[in-house]
Amino acid sequence: MPDVVTLPALALPLNDGRHLALEPVEVGRGERLVLFGPNGAGKSTALRCYAGLVPGVAGVPGAGYLPQRPYMFRGSGLHNLHLGLDGAATARADAIADRLGLTGRLAGPAGALSGGERARLGIARVLARPASLVLLDEPLAALDARDRSVVQAVIVEELGDSASVIVTHDRDVAAAVAERMAVMIDGTIRQIGSVASVFATPRDDEVAEVVGIGNVIRGTVAEVEPPLVRVDLAGSDGARLDMWTLGDDVPGTPVVVMFGAEAVTVFSGDGPRGSARNRWQGVIESVRQAGRLVELVVDLGLPVVALITPGSLEALDLEAGRSVALSVKATAAQAVVVPLP
Amino acid sequence: MSFIGEVLRDAFEVLGDFGPEVREVLYLTIVVSGMATLIGVVIGIPFGVWLGLGRFRGRGAVLTVVNVGMAIPPVLAGLVLLLLLWDDGPLGGLGALFTPAAMVLAQSLLAIPIAAGITAASIRNLSGDATEQLGALQLGRWSRGVLAGREVWPGIAAAIAAAFGRVVSEVGAVLIVGGNIRGETRVLTTAIVQESRQARFGAAVALGILLLLIALVVNALLTWFQLKDTSRA
Repeated sequence: MPDVVTLPALALPLNDGRHLALEPVEVGRGERLVLFGPNGAGKSTALRCYAGLVPGVAGVPGAGYLPQRPYMFRGSGLHNLHLGLDGAATARADAIADRLGLTGRLAGPAGALSGGERARLGIARVLARPASLVLLDEPLAALDARDRSVVQAVIVEELGDSASVIVTHDRDVAAAVAERMAVMIDGTIRQIGSVASVFATPRDDEVAEVVGIGNVIRGTVAEVEPPLVRVDLAGSDGARLDMWTLGDDVPGTPVVVMFGAEAVTVFSGDGPRGSARNRWQGVIESVRQAGRLVELVVDLGLPVVALITPGSLEALDLEAGRSVALSVKATAAQAVVVPLP
Repeated sequence: MSFIGEVLRDAFEVLGDFGPEVREVLYLTIVVSGMATLIGVVIGIPFGVWLGLGRFRGRGAVLTVVNVGMAIPPVLAGLVLLLLLWDDGPLGGLGALFTPAAMVLAQSLLAIPIAAGITAASIRNLSGDATEQLGALQLGRWSRGVLAGREVWPGIAAAIAAAFGRVVSEVGAVLIVGGNIRGETRVLTTAIVQESRQARFGAAVALGILLLLIALVVNALLTWFQLKDTSRA
């Protein structure tokens, strides 16, 4: 496997008169890059270009590609699963299909498979062939919520050393799967960076509107008290933070906790007591105008982003360096399971 | 008895006898048109798959040529071949003129565009999802064509039936390059022309019924195959 796969620059018209205009993007070995954005942003077209399926555009040679709706050819599910695979890859496809719960479903005609089964068959097939770059277009969109975490885990594990580009418009999928995230709007990449940084510090209002959430923090489930879980959040330099969120995962499960910057309440000083489970002390790191609101980044050992009104900023007399208390209602946050390779 | 009634009675008499001359004509028809269809299919279907899948400059022009080929008048195909095979023509040395081989060649020229054109149209009717998946599978050129052909096989079966239907029913090409020589190059269609012109209507109708039966058998087979296809709802 090469250390870096370079996705070529793209410049071509989209159907609706807009243009796809992407700079070259490098994806490291084993790195998962999520292309995130609203419908019609050009994500799928970009992926098809990288796959070499758009006439006149040179893609990445040998890239594996999973279309949004894998097509089932005549014949059995097994026939479809093995299309284009050699001996070793065939055995691998069988093993992956088993893990994806397709055992016993592949003997009949592929036309009889459900949408979710087709999606899983396509995933097993594309992951079975060794490729330096794997392109997945909305791999989880056709799946039931209960199947997602299993499939997500299999994808992350089987991608192994392959660089990958995963298209999704689903925040949970992006947060759980991506190592790096590129936000695409109107045919261009507006921001690219770590998932947490993109969610926490969107470059502009449009990106903020698309990603729509401020805080994405990795952690591990420590305690379960339905419908809540207590998550042990890990900062970059060993700092830890306890947080109660909605979730139903067993202790020890790696998760990503997500909550909006607008869900964070800011108090000056120690703040009052209340029903909020999550109350922390910290120091304001930065203050920044964000549209009609003000964005605070508060250092709690790890950065948490809060959105407040200019009025509150003035009333509380907040500025960088001030000590503040933050609270977040547990029901305003969500823990999403992260598959570990 | 009415004129038509008499003709029909004569026709069934000929069919009832099923004499050596009728058998010979029927046999030669099936062999010549069968061979021509086979050649047309072997060349036309892969060509049609390639044309249906391919993305290359001049594809529109090639498709147009094929579509014109589908509509080419058999007498014209016969005439061109006649000139080629004529003693002084470029292929005169083969000595193939007025032999069944020339008839097979003439009908092949008619069968190839039909087989290719209908196959290409079927392939082009594959959904966007299907062609996208075909591209994504990274198959070799040949396997990709086979998979695409398999996917549209009812269309390809129709192409085969249409090719056979076209050649077995045409009279112009075989008449010109075959010469309708009794016992040598006479087939059902040319025999019908012959019998009609000599006012032996009973025999002409009898041969016409045989021609219809061939078409019936071929199309019944095709329909049966297509109805048997349950892998697509």
